[in-house]
Amino acid sequence: MSFEGHLFLALLEGTVTGFVLALTALGLSLVFGVMRIVNVAHGEFFMLGAVIAWYFSTLPGGFLPALVAAPLLVGAAAFLADRLVLRRLEYKPESTIVATIGLLYIIQQLVLTVYGPYARPVAAPVYFRLDFPWFGYSGYKLVVAGVSAALLGATWLVMSRTTLGLYMRATQQDREMAQAFGVSVDRVYALVFALGAGLAAMAGALVVPIQQAHYLMGLDALLMSFIVVILGGLGSLGGTVAAAFLIGVSDGLVSVFFSPTLAKIVATLLVALVLVLRTGGLFGEEGT
Amino acid sequence: MTRLLETTGLSKTFDGLEAVRRVDFRLETGEIRAIIGPNGAGKTTLVSMISGRISPTSGRVLFKGKDVTGLRAWDRVALGIVYTFQVTSIFKNLTVFENVALAAQRRLMTGALSRLTLPQRTLAEHVQAALAQVGLPDAGDRHAGSLPYGHQKLLEVAMALALKPELLILDEPTQGLAPEEIAALSRLIRALSRGVTMLLIEHNMAVVLELATKVTVMDKGDILAEGTPSEVEAHPDVQKVYLGL
Amino acid sequence: MRRPGARAVWALHLAVILLLLGLQVVVPPFHQIMLARIMVLAVYAIGYNVLLGYAGLMSLGHAMLFASGMYATGLTILYFGVGAGAAFGLGVLASAVMATALGLVTLRASRVSFLIVTMMFSQAFYLATLYFNEITMGDQGFIISGQLAPLRAGGREFAFSDPAVKYNLALVVFALCLMLSVWLTRSPIGRVLVGVRENEERTRLLGYNPLSYKLLALIASGTIAGASGSLYTLMFSYVGSSFASILYSIYPLLWTLLGGTGTTLGPLLGTALMTYVVDIASGLTSSYLLLVGATLLILIMWFPAGVMGGIRTRWARWLP
Ligand SMILES: Nc1ncnc2c1ncn2[C@@H]1O[C@H](COP(=O)(O)OP(=O)(O)OP(=O)(O)O)[C@@H](O)[C@H]1O
Ligand SMILES: [Mg+2]
Repeated sequence: MSFEGHLFLALLEGTVTGFVLALTALGLSLVFGVMRIVNVAHGEFFMLGAVIAWYFSTLPGGFLPALVAAPLLVGAAAFLADRLVLRRLEYKPESTIVATIGLLYIIQQLVLTVYGPYARPVAAPVYFRLDFPWFGYSGYKLVVAGVSAALLGATWLVMSRTTLGLYMRATQQDREMAQAFGVSVDRVYALVFALGAGLAAMAGALVVPIQQAHYLMGLDALLMSFIVVILGGLGSLGGTVAAAFLIGVSDGLVSVFFSPTLAKIVATLLVALVLVLRTGGLFGEEGT
Repeated sequence: MTRLLETTGLSKTFDGLEAVRRVDFRLETGEIRAIIGPNGAGKTTLVSMISGRISPTSGRVLFKGKDVTGLRAWDRVALGIVYTFQVTSIFKNLTVFENVALAAQRRLMTGALSRLTLPQRTLAEHVQAALAQVGLPDAGDRHAGSLPYGHQKLLEVAMALALKPELLILDEPTQGLAPEEIAALSRLIRALSRGVTMLLIEHNMAVVLELATKVTVMDKGDILAEGTPSEVEAHPDVQKVYLGL
Repeated sequence: MRRPGARAVWALHLAVILLLLGLQVVVPPFHQIMLARIMVLAVYAIGYNVLLGYAGLMSLGHAMLFASGMYATGLTILYFGVGAGAAFGLGVLASAVMATALGLVTLRASRVSFLIVTMMFSQAFYLATLYFNEITMGDQGFIISGQLAPLRAGGREFAFSDPAVKYNLALVVFALCLMLSVWLTRSPIGRVLVGVRENEERTRLLGYNPLSYKLLALIASGTIAGASGSLYTLMFSYVGSSFASILYSIYPLLWTLLGGTGTTLGPLLGTALMTYVVDIASGLTSSYLLLVGATLLILIMWFPAGVMGGIRTRWARWLP
């Protein structure tokens, strides 16, 4: 294949990755932004989405219902986790991190017990090929990009046009003030946590036909989401999407021409430095 | 008398609010200087810039003729500038002894070896002396957070004394104290003033009139007047600001 | 009067060490190896606790420091046939250097950012051990028993494969690090670290530069972690990138929380409990990490002070 062919493939793959990443990272970003906590278990919600999608694909109804069921089920689980765990810890930053590490292993290992250590493929619900001058390309990947774009748009609408969105933004700006104006912050937190998890599960379900479902797939999703959220600025929808594309495309480019591992090393180091150098830190608390 | 401290054009702006405006302030060695002024006048902000707790928006701070504007708080402590907080800032979860020990060991940690180990007895003597000075000789084993508020302020003073200051900045030390405790603290300040220059922010005018050799009046970030207690008391602007309070 | 019973404190720790010394004669060989492993891993936890328990800084990047000790020791033995003693020294040195670099970069960040940033640097380190797999042999790792010469002392040879040698080496390093940590936390530096943990601004206004004390704590912590990693390599003769993975950053956090943050004996207790539990569980199921998750969750929700912390508040306030 020619150089242009490689380049085009890299860009195309990068775009698809960017969309999925944006969807996954958006959930983390909302939780970061509104609740001011770091959810280390976010990647596991992604993985749960994928595994649930696989399970549905083995049922008579097929894969498609999973796109509704996975986010709902995972969102409900996250809602419970917020009520039973995070709220009791009063969302203290370090305690929540430890607790979500705990959740990470609990979810991951339960999936290992029930689902097993296999990487299982799922047939794409639609199958067509797009023929480019250099190669043929799976149409399902473009469907994934399209659905992700639609969901990103929908989330944006929820954030900017609905009362829930207004409450979320108000809580993000000033928690006490929101409470004083009658926003039930507790409920907003639980809903945001569920919404964040639901988005990740949706992304997980969407990629199963491309990536296969595996109980360890959450860690990579988590790290990539971290990178995106830190680059994009927490709780910023536009920033998250932009950063996801930047990471998706540059990851695509570097991975095609160099090694994917090297790409990850470079991205991780760069983002860690960004976080250190950004004055005010992750939540705008004062550094030393 | 020699000049101990001087600020030139010292200013601090918080989000557009000028808390301290181009203040030129001078302090001679051996003084007991009181700073008075209504709430929000900028007293705490001014002394915070002197102690290095916050950095000024502009202006300079000179200590013994040396420019210390760029020095961080810990380096100023080493020079002898010590600050006690208006809103008490102590180690609430530690014992009173540990609170003072942390201050006392700062003076004892002179070489590399003394950072690693200090004779327990020497340290305890220093701590006990500081606690006795402020009238809390038996409080060593108590949890600092369990002390009544007034005693927490005295603990702050004990921590400051253990640092062996040259310039001691006391930000409203009598707040929350009983009358007899105020009298004891006044006696202590007077006794200490033989060796230590005092900068005292105080709302209690009786204490100011009794102790201060000189009084600075602040209002809205500016120095309004300066002079002996009786001069300042008679100053028309001061009366306006103060009686309007 | 305040730091009650300095003598009692030292006596207690000495008793623990003597107990461990005696234990090797009575326990069966399987448990002897287990205990040796627990001691060397407890050294890792002791190092972690210096940072978390006394400076109040939670790191998720210690695997990088632990593994630096491992790789420096393992690689120099594998490629250059360095002797065990020198390789151990190099391992400790490597992790000290790594800890210094990590601290200089990450300690500027606030506490929560510090956690995330240390995790990211450690993850980059982990990926690097995979990326350079021609040297490190990545996931698969390498074995050094072929290249590792036995220790020689007093005209006798001590082979690392001998369980008694493993046990007593681990005990010596453990005892040294335990005493070091007891002494450090009771030293003037330890007091400043507690000050930084409890009220950073006040500490600053008492004349201490918090950043340099935090750096000191991180270097001490990382160096001890590296000693543990290095010794682990010598004892078990294997190095692989899984030791650099995030799980190995979470383990010392778990052990320390379980045993009791900010207590000197907590790390040993937490490591012992968890190592045994994980060992038993991993014999029964492949999902044994479920226990890791559940324990973390239970501890943080109901027992944040851990075992020793609980004992301290309930019965023995004087415990360090
Ligand atoms: N960190 C800060 N951020 C924003 N504004 C501040 C800050 N610190 C002080 N201010 C403002 O600066 C002004 C001066 O405050 P300062 O604390 O110096 O007054 P003060 O004279 O010590 O008053 P008081 O007698 O009440 O202690 C006030 O209006 C205060 O609200
Ligand atoms: Mg004030």
